[in-house]
Amino acid sequence: MKRPLRWNIALGAVLLLLAAMVALPFWFVLTGSIKEPAEIISRTPTMVPQSFTLEHYAKLLAASDYPIYMMNSLLVATVSTVMTLLLAIPAGYAFFRMSFRGRETLYRAILLAYAFPSIVILIPLFGIFAKVGLVDSRIALVLVNVAFALPFAIWLLRSFFAGIPAEIEEAARLDGGAPFTVLRRIMIPLVAPGIAAVAVFAFVTAWTEYVFASVMILSDAKRTVPVGFSGIIGQYQIDWGLLLAGASLSILPVVILFAFVGRWFVAGLTEGAVK
Amino acid sequence: MGEVTLRGVRKVFGDTEVIPPLDLSIEAGEFVVFVGPSGCGKSTLLRIIAGLEDPTEGTIEIAGRDVTTAEPADRRLAMVFQTYALYPHMNVAENMAFGLEMAKVPKAERTTAVDRAAGILQITELLDRKPRELSGGQRQRVAIGRAIVRDPALFLFDEPLSNLDAELRVQMRLEIARLHSGLSATMIYVTHDQTEAMTMADRIVVLRKGVIEQVGRPADLYGDPDNIFVAGFIGSPRMNFLPATIKGRAPTGAALIDVPRLGLTGLEVPLRRDRVDLPSEVTLGLRPEDFTEPDLGDQQVSLTAEVVENLGGTAYLYTNAGRDDAVVAEVPRRSLPSTGDSVAFGIRGGDCFLFDTDGARI
Repeated sequence: MKRPLRWNIALGAVLLLLAAMVALPFWFVLTGSIKEPAEIISRTPTMVPQSFTLEHYAKLLAASDYPIYMMNSLLVATVSTVMTLLLAIPAGYAFFRMSFRGRETLYRAILLAYAFPSIVILIPLFGIFAKVGLVDSRIALVLVNVAFALPFAIWLLRSFFAGIPAEIEEAARLDGGAPFTVLRRIMIPLVAPGIAAVAVFAFVTAWTEYVFASVMILSDAKRTVPVGFSGIIGQYQIDWGLLLAGASLSILPVVILFAFVGRWFVAGLTEGAVK
Repeated sequence: MGEVTLRGVRKVFGDTEVIPPLDLSIEAGEFVVFVGPSGCGKSTLLRIIAGLEDPTEGTIEIAGRDVTTAEPADRRLAMVFQTYALYPHMNVAENMAFGLEMAKVPKAERTTAVDRAAGILQITELLDRKPRELSGGQRQRVAIGRAIVRDPALFLFDEPLSNLDAELRVQMRLEIARLHSGLSATMIYVTHDQTEAMTMADRIVVLRKGVIEQVGRPADLYGDPDNIFVAGFIGSPRMNFLPATIKGRAPTGAALIDVPRLGLTGLEVPLRRDRVDLPSEVTLGLRPEDFTEPDLGDQQVSLTAEVVENLGGTAYLYTNAGRDDAVVAEVPRRSLPSTGDSVAFGIRGGDCFLFDTDGARI
């Protein structure tokens, strides 16, 4: 079926609008971070930078605690992501493969974890962490992040496992693969897009987590970017250049992660397996 | 090596008994085809033999060893799936070698085994490709190659050709038959296609609702079916079944039959076994290809051609086409009737089969 021209134009316009809505804020943040302070706060905003300076970045990296926050965030987000994957892959596989009483109920119930706003859990959790001595520890943040990412990760991975034709697993069993070998050599490569999605989800969740990081962490040296950064900009006045430079840098790890795992987002990975 | 014995094998899913207790023995080197309509339990039976399903009751022996509780991989068998089930992220060589790798066969030996199997199946030039780069027929060869590599005592095929087009199916059919004679391994082959069963099998097992209806050589099932189900299932187009009555006995011991639908009276049909108590109402079975030339038959009938199906080599005439009481007869292709023509045929009593009301052969 061939679309009429006016349809194509309309669709193109909608796409452009959406792209602009997503891209424009990024553009302002990125370009603003290299503008002279006077240009940033000038009455008429400039789309294309008229000036160029790296002073904001220099100030951010040399004269603030931002590098420390960055390292903390990287550490917490990476460990959270790895732990989420290590737990979600076997759990998702178990939910798909093992049959036990109440499996479906439990499978649906795990998403109930998201029914509670984090603020509700915050105070009791703080109490618990205080008792076991985890307050002001990055481990506490990892635990919280994993706990929040895990239900969705399990839920998502199970549906990816369920998308693999049963015969492939049976063929692997006939070939003599032990359950863990089958999981590692056959199943995990086939759910790679799901694992990539979970990794991005877990990383971004941990990277942007604010509420728990602001309450659980007390010492400046252990703060993560969202909390630490908000402290930098809010102390006396807003330094817009610093703010924009910090925001630009904080996007970087997520962009790198996308570039790294993006190649796993390939459709039709199981193509050719059956039929 | 390679013989299979099932004793009292029974399978229950939930409340449904899909396979009532069943005994079957398959000799080493035999090519046995399980055939039956969909849902007859043939695939379940194969999966029980493979170890992918546990039997609810009964024992399975392969090559003289009780494997009832053994893992699939420990049964010295290989299975080819209907959907091929290749590992999509591995190339052909890795697909074929995976089983050997799991069995901790050294790499050099694995390569040799893969190369040999690839040579047999003529897929050597495909070894570096991924499954998605292969055609359906090539994928099926790889799936068979993966089975051969493991040098199993028993091959299991689960409708391996049903995803292929007609021409390729014939070709692969011949290839599997050649493979069987070359490897002299035991093969069990599941299909719903009676043509595949007839052409490939040493013995056919006809299944219905999990029950073995008959086991025998293809020619025996075709020429001497035990019951109306087997008679109807084997042969294409299927056998004509017509209501008939037994009027008496001929001096030879044959039954004298009236078939109102064909206007036949007193047709002498020999009985399978001599019995004293014959029912009066029976079903007469007659294959389309047993309608002969008028002067060769014991009696003559005339059929009106409503539809003529010309297959090139042969042609079939249908009366009451599409209805329950349709009669199908093969007509010689040199004298194709036109629609509406009346065609005379001869019928020999010896070609007819009689079934009682329960469907058992008389």
